[in-house]
Amino acid sequence: MSNYTPDQVLGHSDEADGIEEYDNRLPRWWVGLFVFSVAWSPAYAVHYHFVAERSQAGEWQAEMDAAAERWPQPTAEAVASMTVTPEVVAEGEAIYKTNCIACHGPELKGGIGPDLTDATWIHGGSRDQIVATVTNGVTEKGMPPWGPVLGAEKVFKVAAYVHQKGGGQY
Amino acid sequence: MSVEPQTTAAAMSAVDYDDAIVKKFIFATLLFGVVGMLVGVILALQLAWWPANLGLEWTTFGRLRPLHTNAVIFAFTGNFIFAGVYYSIQRLLKTRLFNDVLSNIHFWGWQLIIVSAAVSLPMGWTQGKEYAELIWPIDLSIAVIWVVFAINFFGTIAVRKVKHLYVAIWFYMSMVITIAVLHIFNNLSMPATILRSYPIYAGMTDALVQWWYGHNAVGFLLTTPILGLMYYFLPKSVERPVFSYRLSIIHFWALIFLYIWAGPHHLLYSALPDWSQTLGMIFSVMLIAPSWGGMLNGLLTLRGAWDRLRTDPIVKFWVVAVTFYGMSTFEGPMMAIRAVNSLSHYTDWTIGHVHSGALGWVGMAAFAMIYWLVPRLWKTTIHSPAAVTLHFWIATIGIVLYVVAMWSSGITQGLMWRAIDDAGQLQYPIFMDTVLELMPFYAIRLIGGTMYLTGMLMACWNILMTVRGAPASAAAARPATAK
Repeated sequence: MSNYTPDQVLGHSDEADGIEEYDNRLPRWWVGLFVFSVAWSPAYAVHYHFVAERSQAGEWQAEMDAAAERWPQPTAEAVASMTVTPEVVAEGEAIYKTNCIACHGPELKGGIGPDLTDATWIHGGSRDQIVATVTNGVTEKGMPPWGPVLGAEKVFKVAAYVHQKGGGQY
Repeated sequence: MSVEPQTTAAAMSAVDYDDAIVKKFIFATLLFGVVGMLVGVILALQLAWWPANLGLEWTTFGRLRPLHTNAVIFAFTGNFIFAGVYYSIQRLLKTRLFNDVLSNIHFWGWQLIIVSAAVSLPMGWTQGKEYAELIWPIDLSIAVIWVVFAINFFGTIAVRKVKHLYVAIWFYMSMVITIAVLHIFNNLSMPATILRSYPIYAGMTDALVQWWYGHNAVGFLLTTPILGLMYYFLPKSVERPVFSYRLSIIHFWALIFLYIWAGPHHLLYSALPDWSQTLGMIFSVMLIAPSWGGMLNGLLTLRGAWDRLRTDPIVKFWVVAVTFYGMSTFEGPMMAIRAVNSLSHYTDWTIGHVHSGALGWVGMAAFAMIYWLVPRLWKTTIHSPAAVTLHFWIATIGIVLYVVAMWSSGITQGLMWRAIDDAGQLQYPIFMDTVLELMPFYAIRLIGGTMYLTGMLMACWNILMTVRGAPASAAAARPATAK
């Protein structure tokens, strides 16, 4: 290695259609990059699985725990004791416009989903029944369960809005 | 752009090379390059302006998208590789191709497969596996034609007149063997009807096999054979020795060993077990250096020839091709890192990454090879050197517009999807809101893609004019000697 001279052709060219090849040393930074990536990779794997004991499920749980702490959900009793006020209905309208408009239309006249203002309540027209329908969805007809997405409080509010627009009393 | 005879031409003049088959593959490359890129531009238009779906089931995005990917990967790139491989192995091994009949079965069989794809995909006949959409009867034909190619290829190696196998040939070999294995195993399925079949793998296993295939189709069709072509045509074009033989050995073996494990990075944050996700990620990170070995050997071969970058558009094409190779082989491992992937996955960033490889690396290498090869095959000079330079600039600017638009679009999309408001709810729960935000980027992508297609059309015109203007004696002499 001590008598290395760069840019010396190997002399294969008569067997390579005239293409000459040098046999230069590998660039040192390239060797360094290769060695580093090969060393880092198993270290990462060991750290991820056995030292930090991370996992996809664990990552999800940690995010959910952090969210639950930052945005505590009202307890079932708190929601059950909520009353319908004009403020609640107004908030319900905002939730409706964000989440429901695509299927039930801006005037609640339906589209992909059924009309919410006519006299027919396919799954029951009481406020509790509407809460149940929104929470659990009607998956066989394409209505997704909104309980896990919105949480009980928002479901209560949007149900109050739908109930009122559908002719119900508060 | 000169046509001086090669230094060793005299020594090899005794061999009667089959250049007719190379010419056929070049014409097919040009034809399907236009078709594949035109469909790509139509798709870009559909995303920017939905009425371009035309309201017909055959022309909707879902039907045309696999047509685009199959056309550019298997028709444009496939034919380009076959042209380059068949030209270079004859010269490198100092022998005619193993069997003329096999060469022609390979050529016509491959074109027939392409035509059947062009019919079946718009009809909606699909296996639903990305880059492996073609239905089982076509898959069988691909396997048969690939074996014909393999026999012809290894047959040529068997009857070679030299002992040493030049580095380009190792890369070609890795393609011939690996693509056969990938294609066969990913398409193992039980036919139900002529149009429909069920994969033998179930659920997550099927997804893993699919991405083992999908990732390595990129590795062994869009990377290793193009590197092989680079090792032949780049030093030929600049008339300089390859920078380092030992680098070529080390990066070749490292690349093909590591590549085959990296497929699970397509399934990060999925039902795939954590340990296999880790495997896919770390093998991708370890791929950076072996990939860059190829880039370095390409760029450092240009030492002492950088002045030609100003005057020779073929050198310009090579420099941009190799640079985009280096860029996308750095970007890919970064996107395979869990934290980055959680942002980039399912966004347009992936589309941008793929196109910097496909347009930047594969496409520019194809044009570099074709512009060098055609004047030599037809014993003439290129019709318009100015149009070659113009093609280079229009294609390069087109790629940059495309890739930058998709980076911007992808990162915007990823950030909007994960944005949480002060109340802990999704900030953009309505998907359409995120789509509308991307429309300006889709318009820029359409412009970039149209520029690249324009360059492709200019290449077709320039090559056809070159061939038409070729001396009649050379044109007539070739088929005669081919008999």
